[in-house]
Amino acid sequence: MSEIKGKLKSEIERLLREDIVDVVIAFRKEDSPLRPQPAFFRNTDELTNLEYNSLCQNNLANYLTRFPHDTRIGIVVRGCENRSVNALIVEKQHQRENLFLIGIPCHGIVDIKKIIKKTGEEVTEYSENQDEITVLVKGQKVTFPRKELLHDSCLRCVHPNPVDADVLLGDPLPEGDPSIARQAVKKIEAMDRDERYAWFQHETERCIRCYACREACPMCYCTECFVDHAAPRWVESDVSQGGMQAWHIIRAFHQTGRCTSCGACERACPMDIKLTYLTEKLNDDIREVYQFEAGMDRETQPPFASFNLDDKKRFVI
Amino acid sequence: MTYILKKKKINQVLKGWFKNYDVYAPQKVEDYSQFFRLTSADDLVLNEPHNTRFPPKALFLPQSESLLKYDRKINQLKEAIPTPKPRIIFGIRPCDAYAVTLLDTVFNTEEYSDPYWKTRRDATIIIGLGCSEPCQTCFCTTTGQGPFNPEGLDALMTELEDSYSIETFTEKGEKLFSDLLLASESQQRKAQEIQKKAVESMTPAFDTTNLKHNLDQIFDSDYWATISESCLGCGVCTFLCPTCFCFDIVDEVQRNERVRNWDTCMFRIYSQEASGHNPRPTRKERTRQRIMHKYSYWIDHIGEIGCTGCGRCVRFCPVGLDIRAMLRAANTFESETINA
Repeated sequence: MSEIKGKLKSEIERLLREDIVDVVIAFRKEDSPLRPQPAFFRNTDELTNLEYNSLCQNNLANYLTRFPHDTRIGIVVRGCENRSVNALIVEKQHQRENLFLIGIPCHGIVDIKKIIKKTGEEVTEYSENQDEITVLVKGQKVTFPRKELLHDSCLRCVHPNPVDADVLLGDPLPEGDPSIARQAVKKIEAMDRDERYAWFQHETERCIRCYACREACPMCYCTECFVDHAAPRWVESDVSQGGMQAWHIIRAFHQTGRCTSCGACERACPMDIKLTYLTEKLNDDIREVYQFEAGMDRETQPPFASFNLDDKKRFVI
Repeated sequence: MTYILKKKKINQVLKGWFKNYDVYAPQKVEDYSQFFRLTSADDLVLNEPHNTRFPPKALFLPQSESLLKYDRKINQLKEAIPTPKPRIIFGIRPCDAYAVTLLDTVFNTEEYSDPYWKTRRDATIIIGLGCSEPCQTCFCTTTGQGPFNPEGLDALMTELEDSYSIETFTEKGEKLFSDLLLASESQQRKAQEIQKKAVESMTPAFDTTNLKHNLDQIFDSDYWATISESCLGCGVCTFLCPTCFCFDIVDEVQRNERVRNWDTCMFRIYSQEASGHNPRPTRKERTRQRIMHKYSYWIDHIGEIGCTGCGRCVRFCPVGLDIRAMLRAANTFESETINA
């Protein structure tokens, strides 16, 4: 793993030194070993802080929409991030020729909440390899199998490899099993209506409407989100049941055919709310009905964003 | 006075209080804890290593609360000022109790007194639980208090092996525990040792000596753009913060209700004006507001830092931003520009 970090550092150095890009979006070390931060490198001398490990939990594609389209951006992309970048290009949020994608096949993101649940938060050192995660807690080394600590959406990952990176650091990994990926949704589909509603209610009622899920999502880039619309107001803005349920349903629906299953929304949530079961269900439907997966290429419009005159069902036009 | 409460007697004591009080205490939700009204003494969770994830300020300033109800047909309105039963908040951490005293300077002053806040505040007795093992993300000694700070508390518990030593500071606190046995001298000494050890385990997170001055100096600098570049602009830090108190008032017309909701300076719409102009147009200005409010404007208003070092914003920032690192950078940023 640290080998990848070395390769990444040289690649970023090259991109900046040869003036191929203006900025590189990657991660850097912070005080706590558990919390690397997204970072923006513009000079090679800043790279002493560069970090890359499985604790890098954010989807960096999220930051693309903050830059003008003519900014030449280098960006670290794992499987899901590459697909998010593609989905953004399809939606004309940046120009592919101004992007340099540094691809890394991904062994999955480690869920910091799972570590803390097992060890408490007093972690002073962190190390990892493909199969195991080791942390130092109050002077004691503790090792866990990687699978025990992976974030739920990474356990379901089908496409761990970047799909069209400009350079690939590390060997491609085997694709994930789609039937395993479907299990979480199937579990909820198997519930009866009342159980499903109780599940939904339990998850939504803890919402504090901080919108970390929205802000962490690369595809939530609207200048004005529907919940922020003030005249007229479309959704109750308090933490009433109606307002919170409306937020969760509409947020998910706006992702139809656009979500790349990265799980950044769920990792950002401060109240441990499950969010991905809604988007995963929509992703399943879109795969089944339209044979489409978001971000697999950079041309195909998501089904709900496209129409054509030959459409068999004429109700839209 | 200092009393001793055996751990195995807590349930009995709580049940005794249930008759006359609503008792609010930390309870488990998923993998975290939050203050709720206790309906069964068994739901109490006191062994969490740190404070509750959701801040107990909500017990005085709920995230959403009805201010008044109205009937447009008959042109009448009725204020919804709460009439709470006497309440005990049990097991609050000192950082969160101190935060309540800071919020008193906003909601309950001689000039302005918010009846929604005040009725709840007057009805409440606050029993704290000191932190024997402060967390890495805690920095309450840096902000000027400490893991056993008594400010805002009617009584403070220190965990001993099979009991809690309880020091009372007010008559209200004294009344709750006066049936218990007094702590022996050796028990009191033990509690003091634990408290001292906890304080000593915490190292200063940043230097506050010239911090306000340094922040004021760099108001117009690039510092803010640098520290806010990865900020998502969500409301995690401010909503979980025990001292953030901003609110927005909206009419929920379909329910004929005027509601006060928490709001946050980290949201774009917070400062969006009706004309369309936004005086804090980017995350840079919004981050600046958050930090300046806590570490400069509070000092202008009441002479105290508006942060209690509870560590929630550090623990739950989705991009790992750490206010302690930001403030260290603020202190050195100034010296760099002066030298330049």
